[in-house]
Amino acid sequence: MSPMAVAVLVLAILLTPIACRASNGNTTALADSAEVAQRETRLEQALASHDSSAASRAAVARWVLPEHLAEISGVTLTTDGRLLVHGDEKGQVTEIDYRRGVMVKQFTIGQPALQGDFEGITAVGDVLFLLASNGRLYEFQEGVNGERVDYAVHDTRLGRECEFEGLAFDPAIGSLLLACKSVGEKRLRDSLVIYRWRLQGGSGPRLSHLAVPLARVIGSNGWKDLHPSDITRDPATGNYVLIAAQEKALIELTPAGDVVFSGPLPESLEHTEGVAITSDSILILSDEAGHRPASISLYRWR
Amino acid sequence: MDQEEPASHDQRLVAFSPVPKEGEYMRVIKRLIDVFTLGSARPMRRLVAYYIVLAAVLSLLVYASPIVDQMFSGERLAELEQAPQLLQDGLTPDPSGARAVALSARLELAISTALICFGTLALMLPVSWVYMSTKRTPGHNQSVVQALIILPLIVAGIILIVRNSLALAFSLAGVVSVLRFRTTLTDVRDIMFIFLGIAVGFAAGVQVLLVAVLLSVVFNFVLLLTWRYDFGRNVLQPTAASRWAAPLDELAQRHNGGKVPDRDLVLALTPKKAELLTERFKRVGASLGADDKKPRYNAVLTITTNQLTDSQIQVQGALDKVARRWKLDEVVTNDGKPSQLFYLVKLRKSAAPDEMLTAIRSGAGEMVQTATLEVGDAGARETLAKKNAAKDGGDG
Repeated sequence: MSPMAVAVLVLAILLTPIACRASNGNTTALADSAEVAQRETRLEQALASHDSSAASRAAVARWVLPEHLAEISGVTLTTDGRLLVHGDEKGQVTEIDYRRGVMVKQFTIGQPALQGDFEGITAVGDVLFLLASNGRLYEFQEGVNGERVDYAVHDTRLGRECEFEGLAFDPAIGSLLLACKSVGEKRLRDSLVIYRWRLQGGSGPRLSHLAVPLARVIGSNGWKDLHPSDITRDPATGNYVLIAAQEKALIELTPAGDVVFSGPLPESLEHTEGVAITSDSILILSDEAGHRPASISLYRWR
Repeated sequence: MDQEEPASHDQRLVAFSPVPKEGEYMRVIKRLIDVFTLGSARPMRRLVAYYIVLAAVLSLLVYASPIVDQMFSGERLAELEQAPQLLQDGLTPDPSGARAVALSARLELAISTALICFGTLALMLPVSWVYMSTKRTPGHNQSVVQALIILPLIVAGIILIVRNSLALAFSLAGVVSVLRFRTTLTDVRDIMFIFLGIAVGFAAGVQVLLVAVLLSVVFNFVLLLTWRYDFGRNVLQPTAASRWAAPLDELAQRHNGGKVPDRDLVLALTPKKAELLTERFKRVGASLGADDKKPRYNAVLTITTNQLTDSQIQVQGALDKVARRWKLDEVVTNDGKPSQLFYLVKLRKSAAPDEMLTAIRSGAGEMVQTATLEVGDAGARETLAKKNAAKDGGDG
């Protein structure tokens, strides 16, 4: 056997397992498509079958997130109903098909990637806003998989007044809603504060806030304080829905500040940092990694 | 001189199993390596056997563990850019079981680091064998051999730590600048091996073991092939005849005009060495012929071939046609390299060296891998010296 043939033989031997694995990967893809279909069916059945209040506390689906989303910090739904999530420190946005448990794409904000303490994300039409804890807003367009997108920065100058942890958009008033985790202003310390930052147009001041006394929000729940970790808007009612990771609380307020619901989050969640509600009333909660890996869980909302 | 070269090749083949004589534990390692390499002494076979065993182990690991598969395929490097990706169901256990195993980040890091270390070792071990086997000069630098094993581990470790962090990379540069690693490697090939070690370490560090495997395989086989066929040999390299002509002339002068007097030889030699030299020179003298005559042979023909018997027949047939006389001086067989035939040849006056080589090539065809002819000019120089001496005498 010639040396060249020997070399080719060795290469072939070494590459065979990889090739086999690749073909096996195709098989896996087929298996995955079947699995995805099963998941979708399971979710539809789960949403349709149970309707008691006890059952509504149980997740209808839960997807374990990969390592780079261990500190998942915010979630939002686009206008066409797709779920976007982001981590805590890196400006990287991931789209997740929440119905089927598939990570669809990922794009990065900035070149190099934006770094910061990101706490919330929301979609306003085709534009996305990412909120840092110091009140800075990063505006950018949605990118395709692997793309790096440009961004613009808006400083709300509210970094001293508040440590922000949640972001949502209220189309009724054309304003971003910024949920305050720790209030800096003395006169508002006994309140649950949501700042409103009007995007464009309208009359009056661009910045306003909604302050709801904590005593009203806490009610009989026994929480000593309340530190909201995210906010969203119920598309069906227009109410604001907030979660607090520290107190494991779920709160629903009207835009006027009336408390509609105040109670604990499902027990199975450890450190809930993101909330979103779909147009077909699915409550999506994201849970940071702790004793268990990070995940997003789906519950019936109404 | 040329005839001694195959012997050194054989020594290098022994070095292919890097086992010193002493030490029981080293013998155990040698036996282990022999099991892996099927006990063959031929470098190419040992290398092939090693990689086959490695491929088998690799296949098992790839099928058994998704972590190994990811490291091998470079998925880690690409991270999540290969969308879409199926997420693990947190409510329903995965029926295949494999994906349901959610390893903690620490355990996964520990496993992947261990795999990188052992993978690097497994890939650099044959490189160190090839380094020891194919060293051109006798002996090899043990430090380089050890560096070939250890350096890639360090490089892989550094890359694992630095990853994509620009800050860590700058910190590393700062730390490294404090130290001095300067060393002088005498052979360019040593530097080449060190660079390969760094490349393999790099590939392993970024968890693209496939690249590391290919680097190791291709490098080893290319190096073995260049060694086997003596690729890049300088045709202008001084021949044995030209190298030994001057000192032997000095010794052969009958009168005391030479720079090496007999008294110095008496002091330098023992009776045994003098006897050995006498025997050697007698043998050479017998080959060259009687005194006061022209040497019986004035050229050495070296043939390298894998088909010894057939080539011998063909070459000797060609020699009958183009040489005035010839004699087979020695046949040297080598493990892992072609055999060599050495002929003493007296060229015809009318025949140029190129004609002889052409005749051999046309007769033996592809059976002969290389044919070199070294022509000595000792006879011509002696004749010229005699003429000059006669001329000087006439003038005087």
